[in-house]
Amino acid sequence: MFGSAEAAQAHGGGLISDWGGMYLTTAWGVMALLVLIAVLATRNMQKVPSGLQNVVEFLIEGMYNFLEGMLGPERVKKYFPLLMTFFLFILASNYIGLLPWVGHEGPEAGGIGKYIPPTANLSVTAALAIIVFMSNHIFGLLTHGLGYFKHFFSPMWWMLPLNLIEEVVRPVSLAMRLYGNIFGHELVVGSLLAMVPYFVPVPIQLLGVLTGAIQAFVFTLLATTYIAGATEKHH
Amino acid sequence: MTIVSGLIAIGAGLAVGLGAIGAGVGQGIAAGKAFESIARQPEATGTVRTLLFIALAFMETLTIYGLVIALMLYGKLGA
Repeated sequence: MFGSAEAAQAHGGGLISDWGGMYLTTAWGVMALLVLIAVLATRNMQKVPSGLQNVVEFLIEGMYNFLEGMLGPERVKKYFPLLMTFFLFILASNYIGLLPWVGHEGPEAGGIGKYIPPTANLSVTAALAIIVFMSNHIFGLLTHGLGYFKHFFSPMWWMLPLNLIEEVVRPVSLAMRLYGNIFGHELVVGSLLAMVPYFVPVPIQLLGVLTGAIQAFVFTLLATTYIAGATEKHH
Repeated sequence: MTIVSGLIAIGAGLAVGLGAIGAGVGQGIAAGKAFESIARQPEATGTVRTLLFIALAFMETLTIYGLVIALMLYGKLGA
């Protein structure tokens, strides 16, 4: 949180996507981290995994089996790379906010610091939501052809406006949910830090560990349900 | 600080505060029912948990809308 309304004005006054600092730097940091882990885990792979390879395989396999229950054995193979990328990127982005020099800052800075987690910026989460929106419809078109548009007229033709509104609300709510949760968390920690610098923000920080994982999971889950709905075989 | 700024501040507080009431009640009911059904049918835990997460996400979105409105109002505070 900014110390004064004037500071908020200086940071773009009302345009909430401009709040906070350098999200692109941290976004590139997250990407570099993920690539590094992927390279380290897959270099010199063994039949019986151990160490880092074991951890990564556990994570990937757990998510794969979970999504297989929702998508079925064929579709999960097709869409898993995209969905798992969402999960890993969002998880790493949320957790990078737990680092001491990212996100909230001490009382002298009054809240949001220079570096913020990428998901604490509306532009980043909106970009992710737009990817979900586009891929959802493209996968639907690839599966059903032009017959895909029939589902806008179901169950009755006069439901068309409602269906269209739903399609718009989906990416908006995806973006807002992720942004609001992560940015709100940083805001709460920053405000508490400004009031009581020691020990009091710790439980909220611990809550952030939970929130970060749940939000990454929920985003992936919703993207999966949308894609599952669009590519479902009816007949 | 003028009267207008004060009203904006009250509005920002109410936007997220009132929004949280409904979502809190809704999430409580949904979670309670989910626990009940898991207790009754432990073998359906996986399905119930997935559905619960989706439902909670939708309810939570309403509060987050309130939070976003509050942030927008906060940005207008100095204007």
